[in-house]
Amino acid sequence: MAEKYYIGKAHWKSILNTWMEKYNVIAPQKEHGSLYMVPVTAENSQTIVYDEVRAVEPMKHFFIPPLTDVTGAVKTGDKPWLFLGVKACGITALTVLDQAFGGDFTDPRYEKLREESLIVSTDCAHPLETCFCTKVGGNPYPVKGFDLNLSKVWDGFVVEVGSLRGKELLEGHDRSLKEVVKEEAEALSKIRARAVREVEDFNRNFGFSAESGTALFKHYSSDFWKKDSENCVECGACTHVCPTCHCYFLDDVTKKEFVKLRGWDSCQYSGYAMTAGGGTPRPKLAERFRNRYLCKFRYLPANYDALGCTGCGRCIAACQGRIDMRETLHDLK
Amino acid sequence: MKNPYVNQKAVIDKIIQETDTIKTFCLKPEQPFGYTCGQFAELMVPGVGEAPFAMSNPASKPEYLQFTIQNVGYMTNRLHSMKEGDVLGLRGPYGNGFPLEAFKGREMLLVIGGVGFPPARALLYSLLEQKASYPRITMCYGARTPADIVYKYQIEDLRKDIDLLCTVDKADKNWKETEGVVTVLLDKVTINKSKTTAVVIGPPIMMKYATLKLKELGFKSGDIYLSTERKMYCGIGQCRHCMIDSLFICKDGPVFTYEQLENLPDIWE
Repeated sequence: MAEKYYIGKAHWKSILNTWMEKYNVIAPQKEHGSLYMVPVTAENSQTIVYDEVRAVEPMKHFFIPPLTDVTGAVKTGDKPWLFLGVKACGITALTVLDQAFGGDFTDPRYEKLREESLIVSTDCAHPLETCFCTKVGGNPYPVKGFDLNLSKVWDGFVVEVGSLRGKELLEGHDRSLKEVVKEEAEALSKIRARAVREVEDFNRNFGFSAESGTALFKHYSSDFWKKDSENCVECGACTHVCPTCHCYFLDDVTKKEFVKLRGWDSCQYSGYAMTAGGGTPRPKLAERFRNRYLCKFRYLPANYDALGCTGCGRCIAACQGRIDMRETLHDLK
Repeated sequence: MKNPYVNQKAVIDKIIQETDTIKTFCLKPEQPFGYTCGQFAELMVPGVGEAPFAMSNPASKPEYLQFTIQNVGYMTNRLHSMKEGDVLGLRGPYGNGFPLEAFKGREMLLVIGGVGFPPARALLYSLLEQKASYPRITMCYGARTPADIVYKYQIEDLRKDIDLLCTVDKADKNWKETEGVVTVLLDKVTINKSKTTAVVIGPPIMMKYATLKLKELGFKSGDIYLSTERKMYCGIGQCRHCMIDSLFICKDGPVFTYEQLENLPDIWE
């Protein structure tokens, strides 16, 4: 049985304040209708958005930033990060990144940042129309991979302990932690069930699943790839906002020799796989478009036993051509 | 912890002009660079860029590396303008290499095109070091013209140890050997196909037709080894540029059997 407590509104403030002393707390704030992960300060701590959805930027922004010097000493901030308000889909994505940047050739930067940081996740009580986590094996609430998870219930939170470090975050706050009473537990179940229902309702008409990789591969030569990619302008937004996409280029054209930069790349770009002679295995737009789907549903599962799609819907929200991944997955089911 | 992105330094000790567009760079790395033939390194021109190349020296000489490189793009162009004494960056070795143990007892047939010769030479050195283990070694080598042949100065020496047949796509008046694409040579060699393992290295189009020809001759897909190439940055299974389906050329390869690849789409692209 998971260790759970209820924290009332009045107590939460003091807990957050103690965390802010020890950690660089990063949490979602709303700006122009979207959520962004920003450092929490005394000024903005009241406006943290706990129960909505994923922020615009995925967690990879912090662990593998868009452009990094990967050759110098591993430097981190004066305080470790504490990410507050990470969503279930964000945690799922980290299982891909942890394996890609761990393993045989561990990226020392990634490892250090990941080890130092804490994750205090939160439930999604109000999914967006672009959300489809339940279609790809997820849920709008975290079940693992967090240090603590907060579920907003009434004016406070049901807090679930997910790790020893998470438990340490609650040390010294015994008087703020109350037993979860039946009413709170029931309210939480209802909130979660409603969120699941909402995601399912949004995706009622899409016929695809976490196992879609097999169907996509079977339809490798389908005309749908061409049809569905007609509005693609190859901007790469879908891959850059994707929480699991992590393709990168290395750049040695730096001010100092033997300094190497690592920057995000996108398989949607025509030059992505181009060799010195100018050849590329995917010269056509539809082929590059197809690659993203196959990578998410076939290649990454083969490499890391984890789906490359978490159903976060960022790629749908970011697309200038209004391309909805779910429609292609449905077309090729 | 070891940082996998950091290059060690390697001094260019000697440059051999092989052809108009191909040079062999002999390097002294700071640290010995032990490797298995078929593996590759990331070679970096400081301030310019990095690309993967196969070593062509004997794997038993990790302190003196050789890379035979054609001037085809931005990075190799800058590399070709470098001089003896200049310093390059080096990372690796990466990739799986040839399964020499699995080759033991087999007759070896190498089908090699153009600058596929450098990694093939490293393989030959390894095979010849234990010559008794391989009942027969044959190499079919194809180049575009006689002027494009690398290691010309070694060919006669190699012929003392192996059957080496050469062909060129376009002969000149002094050319005394075969004319035609490399697959033409496969009709000229006697092959005991059930006892033979083939290794194919070269440009994609050449590898495609050589492989199909070997299949036509009755080779099993599992007895055909291919050394593959794609655009690559990291060499360590992260950047995903080199993938064929879900296989990392840099980590699962670059050496694959045709059996591993034959049912995957676009493998020759």
